[in-house]
Amino acid sequence: MTASQREPRPGRAAAAPRTLAEELRARSDEALAELLRARPDLLNPVPSDLTQLAARLSSRASALRALELLDRFTLQVAEALAATPDGSPEAAVRNLLAGPARVKAHPLADPVDRAAVTAALPAALATLRSRALLWGPDSALRLVIAVREALAPSANNPGRTGLGPTLAEATTGMSPARLQQLLAGAGLPPTPDPVTAVAALAALLADRKRCAALLAEAPEAALALLEKLVWGPPTGTVPDAARQVTADEARSPVEWLLARGLLLPSSPGSVVLPRELALHLRGGRSHRTVTPVVPRPTPAAERDPQAVDSAAAGQAYTAVRTVEELLDSWGLTPPPGLRAGGLGVRDLKRAALALECSESTAAFWLELAYAAGLLAPDGEADERWAPTPAYDTWLQQPVAERWALLARSWLATTRVAQLTGTPDGKGKARAALGPELDRTLAPSVRRATLAALAALPPGSTATADALLPVLQWQRPLRGGPAQPDGRELRDHLTDWTLAEAELLGLTGRGALATPARTLLDGGDPVAVLAPLLPQPLDHVILQPDLTAIAPGPLLTPLAQALALCADIESKGGATVYRFTGESVRRALDAGRTASDLHAFLEQHSRTGVPQPLSYLIDDVARRHGVLRVGAASSYLRCDDTALLAEVLADRRAVELRLRLLAPTVLAAQAAPETLLSVLRGMGFAPAAESTEGDVLITRPDSHRTPPRTAPAPVPGGPPRPDDVLLGAAIKAVRAGDRAATAVRRETVAGPAATPQQTGPARTDLRQLPRTAAADTLAALQTAVLLGERMWIGYVNAEGLASQRVVDPVKVEGGFVTAYDHLTDEVRTFALHRITGVAEVDESA
Amino acid sequence: MNDGPLIVQSDKTLLLEIDHPKAADCRRVIAPFAELERAPEHVHTYRVTPLGLWNARAAGHDAEQVVDALVKYSRYPVPHALLVDIAETMARYGRLTLSKHPVHGLVLTTTDRPVLEEVLRSKRVAPLVGARIDPDSVVVHPSERGQIKQVLLKLGWPAEDHAGYVDGEAHPIHLEEDGWQLRPYQKQAVEGFWHGGSGVVVLPCGAGKTLVGAAAMAEAKSTTLILVTNTVSARQWKHELVKRTSLTEDEIGEYSGTKKEIRPVTIATYQVMTTKRKGAYAHLELFDARNWGLVVYDEVHLLPAPVFKFTADLQARRRLGLTATLVREDGREGDVFSLIGPKRFDAPWKEIEAQGYIAPADCCEVRVTLTDSERLAYATAEPEERYRFCSTTATKRRVVESLVRKHEKDQTLIIGQYIDQLDELGESLDAPVIKGETSNTQREKLFDAFRNKEISVLVVSKVANFSIDLPEATVAIQVSGTFGSRQEEAQRLGRVLRPKADGHAAHFYSVVARDTVDQDFAAHRQRFLAEQGYAYRIIDADDV
Repeated sequence: MTASQREPRPGRAAAAPRTLAEELRARSDEALAELLRARPDLLNPVPSDLTQLAARLSSRASALRALELLDRFTLQVAEALAATPDGSPEAAVRNLLAGPARVKAHPLADPVDRAAVTAALPAALATLRSRALLWGPDSALRLVIAVREALAPSANNPGRTGLGPTLAEATTGMSPARLQQLLAGAGLPPTPDPVTAVAALAALLADRKRCAALLAEAPEAALALLEKLVWGPPTGTVPDAARQVTADEARSPVEWLLARGLLLPSSPGSVVLPRELALHLRGGRSHRTVTPVVPRPTPAAERDPQAVDSAAAGQAYTAVRTVEELLDSWGLTPPPGLRAGGLGVRDLKRAALALECSESTAAFWLELAYAAGLLAPDGEADERWAPTPAYDTWLQQPVAERWALLARSWLATTRVAQLTGTPDGKGKARAALGPELDRTLAPSVRRATLAALAALPPGSTATADALLPVLQWQRPLRGGPAQPDGRELRDHLTDWTLAEAELLGLTGRGALATPARTLLDGGDPVAVLAPLLPQPLDHVILQPDLTAIAPGPLLTPLAQALALCADIESKGGATVYRFTGESVRRALDAGRTASDLHAFLEQHSRTGVPQPLSYLIDDVARRHGVLRVGAASSYLRCDDTALLAEVLADRRAVELRLRLLAPTVLAAQAAPETLLSVLRGMGFAPAAESTEGDVLITRPDSHRTPPRTAPAPVPGGPPRPDDVLLGAAIKAVRAGDRAATAVRRETVAGPAATPQQTGPARTDLRQLPRTAAADTLAALQTAVLLGERMWIGYVNAEGLASQRVVDPVKVEGGFVTAYDHLTDEVRTFALHRITGVAEVDESA
Repeated sequence: MNDGPLIVQSDKTLLLEIDHPKAADCRRVIAPFAELERAPEHVHTYRVTPLGLWNARAAGHDAEQVVDALVKYSRYPVPHALLVDIAETMARYGRLTLSKHPVHGLVLTTTDRPVLEEVLRSKRVAPLVGARIDPDSVVVHPSERGQIKQVLLKLGWPAEDHAGYVDGEAHPIHLEEDGWQLRPYQKQAVEGFWHGGSGVVVLPCGAGKTLVGAAAMAEAKSTTLILVTNTVSARQWKHELVKRTSLTEDEIGEYSGTKKEIRPVTIATYQVMTTKRKGAYAHLELFDARNWGLVVYDEVHLLPAPVFKFTADLQARRRLGLTATLVREDGREGDVFSLIGPKRFDAPWKEIEAQGYIAPADCCEVRVTLTDSERLAYATAEPEERYRFCSTTATKRRVVESLVRKHEKDQTLIIGQYIDQLDELGESLDAPVIKGETSNTQREKLFDAFRNKEISVLVVSKVANFSIDLPEATVAIQVSGTFGSRQEEAQRLGRVLRPKADGHAAHFYSVVARDTVDQDFAAHRQRFLAEQGYAYRIIDADDV
């Protein structure tokens, strides 16, 4: 064979491709684009030609990543394929999954809907093909080597099939004499060489009738033993598994089986059930349970979709209000960040107290605001968490739009709020808003969970336990790491997703609401949500017990004005405000006058202003500003001489060191702020005064961070390529491929083909075979697959070049394991030290 | 969104808009599980508490009904978490049951094994229980019946008490309804109590709680122990019982500081029960003196802590608590629930007033402005003396005088906290003063004179806060109080709420010194009544 074997020969152009690269070459641009879209890691960097692409997608890491994205049935198809010899037809796979027709299945095997398997199989094969995990026609299906290596059952790694190695694999290294003993034990005639012996034994096990006849002679205990191994794991521990026992000497059930090759030693202390026999016992099935279609979750309850929408809308409104309330308070008093990042436990507790919710719920709102870019650390030396300028913009938007931002951010973020407080690797509790809360799995699980919910009829609720099987079927290998409680991360994420979706108002009373459906379908939920939200009101109910009740959400200016002159007592659908002397004074301090307040309340009250309330306002206003405090010299003046005398006489004013300046003016040695607070503490209502003698209007300053962007979700893999990138990449690959194949033609004819003219080992660097790294990799992988001998140029760690003839055994992790004919031993070669490869001309 | 009258808040308060057409229906369905917290003019506030939910469970309501009621009448969607919380809280009641076992006596059984395991692991439960009978039940020492209920409630797993009651010593008692009869709500209250076994009846002052007690006794027909706040109220109970029931003077005993009679019906004061002699409660034998079939607690909200302790040992007897408010300034509502029993009946003040059983009242806060010299003195007073100073200020006296003049045709009570102030007022108004040192005979004499309108003005200290039946008092003037006590304000208003013969309104004045702590305390005191729907008018002293 020559290097030109990669090129389809003119005469066989129509024949099936012989390598993966060839198969790729034959694909249309659309098919390549689909492949690259499904496996974006292949594009980093863009491969130079199709050979390189084929080599890259055959790498173990890339293949495993691609396997992780398969659904359960497609994965089972791949697993069944890996349990068959390379080049098996489609029918063999079908028989493995559904069991051969007219063969009784093993009693422990779950029944299989053969028709469903048959129906689902082509699509599964097409998926495997389109992702280049499988190639070749239906009559000869070939798994990519890395996939086969990952999935092929062996004694140490039975995989999800629970099968063992084939007879041939299990008897590798067995002495020819022992093989003949086994033949005799199984009642077969002797054969001339080990290869035929293994073949004869394998043929016996594969033949249902003869195998059944052989097993019919087995003692009960031996059959019971086999029964234990049949669904895996296929290995059992026995002392001295390698004993060379013959059929006549067999005493125990294990020996009876060992003597006939029905169990084979896999290590000195254990035996393995050969795959052929396991399949025979299973009735030909590779999997105990085959699930050709996605399971349908059972709804936990059916709710009126309208009630669901209204409940969700109510919660959506609450969510927006909660974030607003949280950030407003953090704007005034931004909490400090921890040095290691995130928020201290005490500040989280404080936030939970302010929001009247549990700490984990508070952490959720914080992470939500952070993910939406509304909250960020301000980046100062003493870092504080504060609302971003984007928050001010957000505040101006209608409620539905504000909610849409929160919901979108939540769907996309990789931050998992519920991990707050759980111990990290070092046993320290993870901080809210801290650096260790990103989980790449989160966004996909969130979407998958909600999508599974969306697949149910409108108004249906489902528990996490009901939805989880769907997710597990869709991505069986994407469970995430096991958590301390033994469940997978995904199990928790599903729970959390449902809880958080309810908090956010994506679901209402457990069922998916219409705005959330629109959002999941990629639409704009604003128009759907807006009419469901409660309409803001322009009035309140004032009561004689000094409360004001807003029987629904208020127009923003009204809500702000009311919050200024009254304290909020209870929140929810309605808001209860309470007027106190303190709160009225706050309004007066902010520049309102008593008549302003009277007019404001008169205008917005449905029930008139009760007398105690007007008295309260007048009372406070009467005293408000009667005392005036200067900033520059810190003085206290008052037209009421008696009041001033009262202040002066008060013992609690001693620390102010007051002195009567005039009958109406007191001077203080304390700072104006201290003066104000002490006087207020004494029960007066002084007003601060500017140098011009005007009343100073104070309002707390709100804190903001510099402009901040929302934290980017931590990607779980390479980004999804867009169509432009895909088009360009495919063009580049095609161009590179044409160049590479053109050059090779010259190589064959030209002097660069020298390495093929074999000779004794030479050490001249220029004489070494030279091929591109990708070609080297591809050639070595092919050689492993075909069991071919290769000529390699190798530069060792000291820089010494040599040529070697090797039989490659395995290519993995940048190393080639091969039998080196030069040193007559099996050793590994670093791939990057191999300068090039050439095929050995066997005829030479 | 429907247009229901109810708004469910996230802090588990319910706002009921009472002008709404469906408000009455809604009130009826939420009343069993939600405690009325405030009842001002337009929007009433109810609160859903674990105790309230357990009360509802004890009365036979289930979570489904509660959730339905909320969802049906709520204007906005009810937060799902709240519904779940309600269901979970209600499910906690009844997992544990106390019952009589034919062989083992008192046993605690569970329908949910882990709950039993959980409570048995508690250190506080361990000493109260005996041997485990089977995985689901455990023996409880009969003497610890009350203790264990108290502890289990604290653990959040209130036990249902099915252990029943001893009948007690039978004694014939029946109501003598000649020329009067029980009001409908009183009948409902008695039925509610008798059906539930033990529990608390909440009725406003002046709504005839004594009669509820009498009717309960007539139902029980057994010897009865009645615990009341003080001697005066004990006499009134006796008086009322003789008048309304078949009991005669001789059948009713008084057990107080002065008399120690034990008769088929015995009325004892809290004070004598809690008297300690040489470090021990001297009068505990009273509880065992007879085989009581019924124990009545008057003014449950004032029940002193030691009485709770004794009550814990009385769990096999029927217990009736009577009160105007379940609000306890010391926050021991949970003990009332576990030891006396759940709330069995309650009616808001305004509703009973609307039915004409208590007099409508006009509440007025009179604000007095201190003189300059008084303000100065107030500012320099010691902090602990401030309230006394401002509430007893001389300016108030002038206001009280003018108020008394204004109502000179009415029977007027002047109520205060400080004896000096009361003595002064008594002197200036030429009115008798009743205070702690006034002998009981003297008190009775003065009260009689007041009832017979021989005297029109009576100055009383806080001894008169409770249970004095002065039906003809139509004006009460409060000059000072026990700081911010809400229930005191309610009790004092109750003095004038007995229905008047001529049906005219009562007046309640609270005289308050402006811009002082007196005003702050007054605001706090008035809260309960403002929340009960009594709107205070504020007037200036100069306008009187």
